[in-house]
Amino acid sequence: MEKNENRYSPISRRKFLQIAGSAIAGGAILSVFGGLMYRAKMRESSYYWQIDPQKCTQCGRCQTECVLPVSAVKCLHANKVCGYCDLCGGYYRSNVKELNTAAENLMCPTGAIERKYVEDPYFEYTIDERLCNGCGKCVKGCSSFGNGSLYLQIKRDLCKDCNECTIATVCPSDAITRVPLAAAYKLKE
Amino acid sequence: MLKKLLYICLLLLFSVTSAAQNRFPKPDFESGYQYPEITYAVSNEVVWVWVDIILLTFLMCIAAWAVLKKRTRKPIVWISVISVAYFGFFRSGCVCSIGSIQNVSLALADSTYILPIPVLLFFILPVLFAFLFGRVFCAGVCPFGALQELVNLKNYRLSKPVTAVLGMIPWIYLIFAILYAVTRSSFIICRFDPFIGIFRLGGDIGLILFGVLLLIAAIFTGRPFCRFICPYGALLSLFSRVSVWKIKLTQKPCINCELCHNACPVDAIRPPYENRVKETRQQGVRRIISYFIILPLMILAGAFLMRSVGSHLSRANKDVRLYNMVISHEASPQDIPSVELEAFYGQGGTIEALTAAYENIQAGFKLYSTLAGALIGLVIGITLIGLSVKRTRRQYEIDYAGCVACGRCFGYCPQNEGKIEKLCPTQDKG
Repeated sequence: MEKNENRYSPISRRKFLQIAGSAIAGGAILSVFGGLMYRAKMRESSYYWQIDPQKCTQCGRCQTECVLPVSAVKCLHANKVCGYCDLCGGYYRSNVKELNTAAENLMCPTGAIERKYVEDPYFEYTIDERLCNGCGKCVKGCSSFGNGSLYLQIKRDLCKDCNECTIATVCPSDAITRVPLAAAYKLKE
Repeated sequence: MLKKLLYICLLLLFSVTSAAQNRFPKPDFESGYQYPEITYAVSNEVVWVWVDIILLTFLMCIAAWAVLKKRTRKPIVWISVISVAYFGFFRSGCVCSIGSIQNVSLALADSTYILPIPVLLFFILPVLFAFLFGRVFCAGVCPFGALQELVNLKNYRLSKPVTAVLGMIPWIYLIFAILYAVTRSSFIICRFDPFIGIFRLGGDIGLILFGVLLLIAAIFTGRPFCRFICPYGALLSLFSRVSVWKIKLTQKPCINCELCHNACPVDAIRPPYENRVKETRQQGVRRIISYFIILPLMILAGAFLMRSVGSHLSRANKDVRLYNMVISHEASPQDIPSVELEAFYGQGGTIEALTAAYENIQAGFKLYSTLAGALIGLVIGITLIGLSVKRTRRQYEIDYAGCVACGRCFGYCPQNEGKIEKLCPTQDKG
């Protein structure tokens, strides 16, 4: 009886299962790692979330959907595209009664757009990044009435590089995609 | 008259080329105005990502050395502090190994998805370490586990049935996370992450509340998140079960004092058990056959159930939602279109292309939710069988699947090396 127990001792069976399990686990790790590494080597990995300004519809979700309390999406300004207009669609609201810089006439809810006189008909506009909340109201104004020099973009120094951008999950125009480091900003020039 | 015509023509031309958006010509400045030079900050992410990976490997090596070689807990506490400070608060907990499951499974299912190498390393390194040394990643390198470990004071034990039922959640969560990842619907692990809001000091208030509740629970019972929610822990438990080097409770003979069992925060030390049920060989064979019948039945039932709800699950996909919106808008066009519809029509999307995408996703959901259902059936079946299998144990044994290598038991074991001398330092001399 005792001999019989030894021959079918549970330890050896368990040991066999252990070794078989180890072999399967090790093989799985190697094959997954090898396969994905081989594939990853072939292409440059794109890792950084960016907005395609051509696709953006300025729905305003960038302001509210980012995981950060104040969105990492900011308005950028391409000076070389800008018309330096006096009557700026991104600066003033449409159909204002009087064209002055009173807050009720301005597009930006946080007063992040600074306006500076350059020469007779021209004004320079700059965005104060600390105030901008990425709502995109000025972008909408500029795209509808101006040259479209204002556009939304994800600031790399603020973005947390989430595994899945929460804005991208609700972006109506699929404008947010991952880009390689070489193109960390999709700029308008 | 001619001027007016020309004007109208120009207006038409402008409205057509409004996409180019050069409504106003470039101003020629006379005052010598220069365009400002603007450079946009690119933070040195590449360096940080490699620092992350090196630190991850280094901390896991130290944890493995501490629990396997030195058999002490002290380094684990320091690793936990470093991990919470660096991976948690400084790096805001992203990209984490838990979330990387989704990227890796998506990359395996879809060859067009580009998987960044750091994400792959974040996924594979803890798995590799679990295969070699057990769950040393969970011990304190994972900021989530470390945070719970640091607040843990008491170990109130949950009853076995409760643990078994709650223990199925990580597997089901893992299966759903993979299902939603491979169908490109949503990364649910990232979306419902309870601790990320704490690390980022802001975020969804409901999730932060959930995280705080989990942390309060973690004071009284060890690591509720790791045991009952974490899908990566479920994955690692598979590998640590068959790990090459294993943690040992004591190197000297166990005296069955129960101290380690009481010290274990995750209930991974099984007490000795005397199986008094003596069954004949025939009864045993009958039991095994019943297992082999029940398990496929559970798998089939799970697969069938999930297949039938697959189309409902597909609503999590963005394209499916858009398709439903477009269909309902086509049915009643007088409604004000949502921003999604505006963007869809604004970009000139066609219903044919959307329908093709929709059908593609539906087919994907049908296949993957069937597989997911089969796996859920397998998990429930194995859990039930595990509850009914009784094994005789003569000593306290580590359940390697559950052990998170926190090293608490070492300090409690009276047989552990150095312990006796510490208790009675004058024994040798006397």
